[in-house]
Amino acid sequence: MRKYFEFARVQMQVHAAYSAWFWANTFSILLRMLVIYFFWKAVYSSRTEIEGLPFDGMITYIIIAMFLQMFVSGVGQELAHTIKDGNVAIELMRPYNLITRLVAMDIGDKVIHFVRGALPLSILAFIFMDITLPTTWQGGLLFLLSAFMGIWIGTFFDLLIAILAFWTINLWGLQVMKEAVISFFSGALVPLILFPEWFQTISLFLPFQAMVYVPVAIYTGILSGTEVWLALGSQSFWAVSLFVLLRVLWSIAIKKVTIFGG
Amino acid sequence: MLSRYIKLYYLFCKQNFKVMLEYRMDFLLGVLSVMLQQFAGIFFVKIVFDHIHALNGWTFYEILFIYGIAATGRSIHHIFFDNLWTLGWQYIRPGKFDRLLIRPINPLFHFIADRLQQDGLGQLFIGIIVISTAMPHLGISWGIFELLLLVVMIIASGFIFVAINLFFATLSFWMVDSLPIVWTIFNLSDFARYPLTIYHKGIRHFLTWIVPYGFTAFYPAAYFIKGSGYERLALLTPVVAIVSCIVAYWFWNRGLKAFTSTGS
Repeated sequence: MRKYFEFARVQMQVHAAYSAWFWANTFSILLRMLVIYFFWKAVYSSRTEIEGLPFDGMITYIIIAMFLQMFVSGVGQELAHTIKDGNVAIELMRPYNLITRLVAMDIGDKVIHFVRGALPLSILAFIFMDITLPTTWQGGLLFLLSAFMGIWIGTFFDLLIAILAFWTINLWGLQVMKEAVISFFSGALVPLILFPEWFQTISLFLPFQAMVYVPVAIYTGILSGTEVWLALGSQSFWAVSLFVLLRVLWSIAIKKVTIFGG
Repeated sequence: MLSRYIKLYYLFCKQNFKVMLEYRMDFLLGVLSVMLQQFAGIFFVKIVFDHIHALNGWTFYEILFIYGIAATGRSIHHIFFDNLWTLGWQYIRPGKFDRLLIRPINPLFHFIADRLQQDGLGQLFIGIIVISTAMPHLGISWGIFELLLLVVMIIASGFIFVAINLFFATLSFWMVDSLPIVWTIFNLSDFARYPLTIYHKGIRHFLTWIVPYGFTAFYPAAYFIKGSGYERLALLTPVVAIVSCIVAYWFWNRGLKAFTSTGS
């Protein structure tokens, strides 16, 4: 356990060292917030609500979803590159579990991104952009629980996709495709209630809405009462099954490495 | 001179094509992924327009048209000039850039021709589909002249993308890798996907006169949209493209002069 903690700690230090990327990220997020703000302002210029959501409800949803989406991907890229350049063979000989090590590094990543990026920026958003707090404190707590599960699901889904690097060399394409699918189905761009019925039905059966839509819908009160508990139930289902699926696929993939190694 | 470069470019392309054919699955994956990415953006606009009729007076098809011009313009940049992204971390940092400097051709040409990015084709397809979907709904009649002008505008849009990326990639000559800056500036182009009229005046001026992303989509599109009020400014698009390229190339040459290799 101790060694994994060290990995997380070192990862935080690595980030502190690359300040150029930190500023680039911060600045890009600010830009995106500006685009979002003006876009939705224009959308609401001639109406007061869409599907029961007033402007402040909508902007709260979109901004919180944007922040959450930044945390639902993981260290898939790292894993994919390790597989691609063959280092995975060496990694497997080392005295730790590669997946656990990557997840530990990911936690380090996410903690530092939260403290240095998302937290100050969301405070800015609260002050300047009509963002509201959850209506009840229970809602806030359930949001935290649900967001945690969403991030968990996203992290393991990301690693799952990265294993595909055993079969393709276009890692960039894989990454872009994954991100497109997630922003599509997770409700990171707009609340799923705005989507056509058939689309909502499809996404009910996919793990993506559990990443972003469910937590943010709990936060903004789009989901309430028993719907919340149902949604949390389906999140736990995905959290467990993706975790198990990853372990299974990984052990199959590792066997493939041994075969190639000869 | 020119014919030599054309022949050289053809030879470079041939090599790139061989690589593409070697990895067919990856080619498909790349094209599909970009198409899906673009499609997500369009789907978003469609969803929003299911609930509203106009965005600040702009109709769905007008927004689509702006979007399509941006996508097609960017695809030129993505297919032919994608190597600009890699100047710092693939050429200067590992000392590979020196290799280009000792060849008897223009180093910028060599650097650009080093890669053809097939993934951009997805963007091109989507862009063309989107533009042709939107075209009949803009309330103007399309003759030969309009079509030609549209092509000119799209090419100009592509070269504005190129010039902006080249300008900021050139900073790598002083700071080894300017990718964070290039990436941040590139993100500004997100603004250009919607009519600039929805933004604050300051943002609008910035995207028109400082970092001219406004000319990559909104202004050229506005020329073909009846009563947009930007027809005159729109005609500046090719001029802006040429000026941006000149400025960026001048800056690149200054960077080359200042460049000292990372090697020992």
